Amino acid sequence: MTALALPPPSFIQLLFGFISLAEKTAASKLAYRFASFISILTNTLGYCIFLLVWREVYRQGTAVSVPRAEIFPYLLLAFLVNGILTLGVEARFNQRLRTGAITSDLLQPLGFVNFQMAQGVGDAMANSAFVLPVYVVGWCFLGPAVLPASFASAAIGGLSLVLAFLINFGLSFFVIQACCVLHSAYGVISMRLALHQVFSGLSAPIVLFPEPLHSLAKWLPFRHIVETPASIWLGQVAGARLPQLLATQVAWALVLLITSQLLARSLVRFRQVQGG
Amino acid sequence: MSSLRFYARLYVLALRSRAEYRIDFAVGVGSTLAIQCASFAFYWVIFSHVPALGGWAREHVLFLLGMTAAVLGLSEMLLNGIWSLPQYLVRGQLDRLLLYPVHSLTFLLISAPEIHAFGNLLTGLVITVLALQEIDVPALVYVLVPVWLACGAVIYTALLVLAGSLSIVALGPWSQHFMLAQHLLNASRYPASIYPRWLQWLLVVALPVAVPIYLPGRWVAGIGSAAAGVLAPIVAAGLSAWVALWFWQRALRHYQSTGS
Repeated sequence: MTALALPPPSFIQLLFGFISLAEKTAASKLAYRFASFISILTNTLGYCIFLLVWREVYRQGTAVSVPRAEIFPYLLLAFLVNGILTLGVEARFNQRLRTGAITSDLLQPLGFVNFQMAQGVGDAMANSAFVLPVYVVGWCFLGPAVLPASFASAAIGGLSLVLAFLINFGLSFFVIQACCVLHSAYGVISMRLALHQVFSGLSAPIVLFPEPLHSLAKWLPFRHIVETPASIWLGQVAGARLPQLLATQVAWALVLLITSQLLARSLVRFRQVQGG
Repeated sequence: MSSLRFYARLYVLALRSRAEYRIDFAVGVGSTLAIQCASFAFYWVIFSHVPALGGWAREHVLFLLGMTAAVLGLSEMLLNGIWSLPQYLVRGQLDRLLLYPVHSLTFLLISAPEIHAFGNLLTGLVITVLALQEIDVPALVYVLVPVWLACGAVIYTALLVLAGSLSIVALGPWSQHFMLAQHLLNASRYPASIYPRWLQWLLVVALPVAVPIYLPGRWVAGIGSAAAGVLAPIVAAGLSAWVALWFWQRALRHYQSTGS
C-alpha cells in the first residue's frame, strides 16, 4: 500500500519552518515599506495628541503622582511597544476566511496556531524596523531618559516584550474566534482595539487612572502588553514587583495560548468555512 | 428621475444592503460606542488631575469631545464611500464608475454608508447635549449644533477626498494616509490652543477640520465671538468642499487605469 501523506515533520523541521515563515512575513511587510512608513507617520501624529495634552497638564504645574521626567519617556516607550506589537493576525485571518483560503492554513504541518504565530512574529520583526527611527527621534528630544536604566533592565524588558507578544497573540486568537461566531470582523476588532487603547497604558500609566478604571486595568491582561514591558525597560519597576509582573505575564500568556489551542480545535470541528 | 431623488434612492439602497448583516450592525454599533468610551476614558484620566485644560473647563472640553464624535459619525453615515477608493483603484472599478452618467464623487461618497457610525453619532450627540446642559447656553446654540455638525462632516469628508485624490495621482491604492484626516479630526477633541502653533495653523487654517468644533466651542465657553463661531464653520465648509471638488477633478484628469 502506498503512503498517501508525507511523514510528520520533526521538531527541528517545524522550528525551521516557523523561522522561515516569520522571515517571509517580515520581508513581505517590508516590501510595502512606503505604505508602512505612511502608517507609522500618521500614527505618530495621532499619538502626539496624547503627548501634547499631557504636556499641557504638566505646563499648568499640576501635581501629578508621576513626575514629568518619567512620563514622557514612558509614553514614548509605550508607543514603540504598541507599534512593535501591532500584529496583522486578525486582519489576515479575516481576509483568508472571507475568501475560503483559510482551508489551506488549517492543513499546514506547523499547526494552525503556530502558523498564525509565525506570521505574528514576522509582523513584530518588521514593525521593529519601522519604529526604530521614532525611537531615535524620541531620544533626540528626550535624551538618555528613554534608554534602558541598566543592562539588566534592557534584558528583562526584552523578555517582558516577548511575553507581551504572546499575550497579545493570545488575545488576537480570541478575537478571531469571536469574529467567526458573530460573523463580524470590524465590530469585534474595533471593540478589542478600544479596550486595548484604554487599559494597556498606551495613553497614560495605569497609576494615573481614577477608580474604577484603575482597578479594572489591573485585572485585565492589556496592561501587560504595553505598560509592563515599557516600564521594565525604563527601569521604573524595581524590587519584588519585577518578578511579580513577569510571573503575571507568564500566567496570562499560558492561559491565553492554551485556550487559543483549544478554541482553534473547536473552530476546526464546529465552524463552517465560507465558500469563497 | 431628478438627480437628488436618484442619489437619495442610491443611499437608501446602500443602507439597506449594509443593514442586511444584523449581527454585524449590532456589534459594529457596540464597537463604536466602545471607541468613544475609550476617548472618554482618556478625558476622564486627564480631568481627574486638572480642573481645566489650557483655560477650558471640564464641560467645555466635553463639548469638543462630543462634537468630534458626532462629526465623525455623521460623515461615516452619509459620506463614507471615499474609504473604498483604494479598492476601486485596485479592482479597476473607478473606470466603470467614470462611465456611469453620474457625478463620480457624489456617487462614490454616498454608495457605502457605515451604519455602525450610528454609534458615533449617538454617543457624540448625547455627550454634546450633556455638556451644553452643564454650560447652560441659550437655545440658539442647540439650533446651531446640527449646522456645525453638517459643516464638520463636509470639511472632514473634504480632507478624505484630498487624500483620495492623492491616491489617484501619486500615492497609489493605499488607505494609510486617509488616517491623517481622522487623526486631525481627533485632535479637535481638545482645545487647539494647547497645541503648538504649527498644529493650530494646520487645524484651523490649512486643513480646517477643527473650525466647526473649536470655534463654536470658544463661543460656547465665552472666549470667542459669536460671529466666528457661527460664520467661520459655514465659510470653511464651503471652501473645503470647493477645494476638494477641484482636486478631485484635477486628479481624475491624471487618472491612469489599472493594469489588471
